[in-house]
Amino acid sequence: VKQTTGAAVALLAATTIALLLGPGLDPGTQDLATTLLVYLTVAQAWNILSGFAGQVSLGAAAFVAVGGYTAGLALVHTPVSWPVGVVLAALVSCAIAAVLAVPLLRLRGDYFAIGTLAASIAVQALLTNWNWAGGAAGVTLPIDRIPTGTVLFELAAVVAAAAMAVAVYVRYSAFGLRLTAIRDNEPAAAGLGVAVYRHRFCALVLSGALTGMAGAVTAYQYVAVSPGGMASVNWSLNAVLMALVGGAGSVLGPVLGVFVVYYGLTRQLEDFQVVSLVVEGVLLVLIVKFAPSGLWSFLTRAGRAVWGRRRAPARTSAATPEEQAPAKEIEVV
Amino acid sequence: MSADVLVAGVLAGGLYALIGLGISLVFGVLKMMNLMHGELVIGGAYLASLLVGYAGLDPLLALPFAMLGMAALAYPLQRYLLTGLLRSSPNAPLVATFGLSLVAQAVLQAAFGTHPKALSAPYADAGFTVLGVRVQAVYAISFALTVVLCGATHLILTRTRAGSAVRAAAADPVTASMLGLNVRRIYALTMAAAAALAAAGGVMTGVAQSFTPTSGLPLLLTGFAVMALAGIGSVGGVLLGGITLGVLQSISTDLFGGGWRNFVVYTVFFLTLSFRPSGLFRRTVRA
Repeated sequence: VKQTTGAAVALLAATTIALLLGPGLDPGTQDLATTLLVYLTVAQAWNILSGFAGQVSLGAAAFVAVGGYTAGLALVHTPVSWPVGVVLAALVSCAIAAVLAVPLLRLRGDYFAIGTLAASIAVQALLTNWNWAGGAAGVTLPIDRIPTGTVLFELAAVVAAAAMAVAVYVRYSAFGLRLTAIRDNEPAAAGLGVAVYRHRFCALVLSGALTGMAGAVTAYQYVAVSPGGMASVNWSLNAVLMALVGGAGSVLGPVLGVFVVYYGLTRQLEDFQVVSLVVEGVLLVLIVKFAPSGLWSFLTRAGRAVWGRRRAPARTSAATPEEQAPAKEIEVV
Repeated sequence: MSADVLVAGVLAGGLYALIGLGISLVFGVLKMMNLMHGELVIGGAYLASLLVGYAGLDPLLALPFAMLGMAALAYPLQRYLLTGLLRSSPNAPLVATFGLSLVAQAVLQAAFGTHPKALSAPYADAGFTVLGVRVQAVYAISFALTVVLCGATHLILTRTRAGSAVRAAAADPVTASMLGLNVRRIYALTMAAAAALAAAGGVMTGVAQSFTPTSGLPLLLTGFAVMALAGIGSVGGVLLGGITLGVLQSISTDLFGGGWRNFVVYTVFFLTLSFRPSGLFRRTVRA
């Protein structure tokens, strides 16, 4: 309970600081911050579904597209205001996630990953052919009715804060413990009375709703939605990359991952596309090879080693769950 | 719907089966999703394009060299990198092969540029008519090649000592290694064989259509779709799975227009994976 309060206070403080600092930033920085916050939401939503609940998804793009198109089409075809668009994006993403759950939750492990990939490509193909939604070209949003600059940044900050809050809840609540139990050993969790299907369903729907809201923010940021932009497989891949680089299954891992991958790599190397691809690819391989639980846990462990040597060994038993053997399949090759 | 549509679908399906065969082999033996399979296919096409461009070889003569070349590239990757990751965490090979596919795309971009390439051959655009049905020569050749390679893979796996070793390693790697089989080498050889099959598919794809360094992803998805339709890990059903996919594409293009093709294909793929995980052609669940 104490940890939960601490995390909630820290999150609230960070959100407040972001909202206070936002208006003072120049437009370029605001745009960059908005992009970072959108990626944070998507990566954290992936982390909830895949890092905590252990269902590796390659289909984040499906929900970015659903959310973005919902908000975009709502603004284009009805007179609703942009906050309603975000709420609608979350609701429709929930509904689509619930429908997709019927076939998807029959799958586990790699099959689930492939299933989500196929679902996201099917969504992209559907949007490309749906003339009411603008077909392959997509639609342009009414520019006078969408948030820009500071307001857009604040919206992105609130959405990202919501994703972080869900992650904190999953990390410290009994619900989250049951999710990680399913991830680590599903038969054992089921045997101890965890309602496996209901928990996997909740993780999928929560993750879908958060990703959908990020999609709505992106639609406002781009002032347009198109199958190529909103349903691009790059969304799915970036979510995996960012969460894994930072550390899947921890609350702060994706924050670090988004910063390192987007600000540290994609942004710095945007003029050198080939180098950027090589660095990202090699980084992924190195991470799974040498720091399979991500940079965050790598750094905290290194920090603790230095810190612990200087002070008396205070607590040895308080190992966090993500440290306790992330690899559970000890199948010998 | 005319017979042309069905025949074109069946023949194109042969090529899809060839692309799916390598994925299926790796998943069946190593229990590993290989996300760089598309790049192995495209890599084969680019290797062949070097031989076609500089040595003036016919793509079909370049094909064995492309197969050998991709196998030689894939063997050390599996032996020294990926096999070690199989035991570290369940997602590690998935992520690592994805990382390698990014690197491969970048290398191909740096080496060959991003403009589309195609392998020129006299039979690339040729066609002939059999019993009133129009047939494209490339697809007829690639279909025949697929039948030969599927048959060879099947015979090697079921009739040779090496094949028994592979099947033993697939069924129970621990017991197999206790009985003295070098499972790590078997895994690497399986990946090399899959890369060779991918390269063969890549050369035929390169003759039939143009390709760029980023063409790998759709090919990977084609391979997964074939595997899902065939039943995951089944080599025998791959040919049927590829043909089903080809006919499905061809019919949906004919009925709804080219735009809806991907939607129909991926929806069927997704639903098959979910509701018939053992594939369309097998009555029993995986043995």
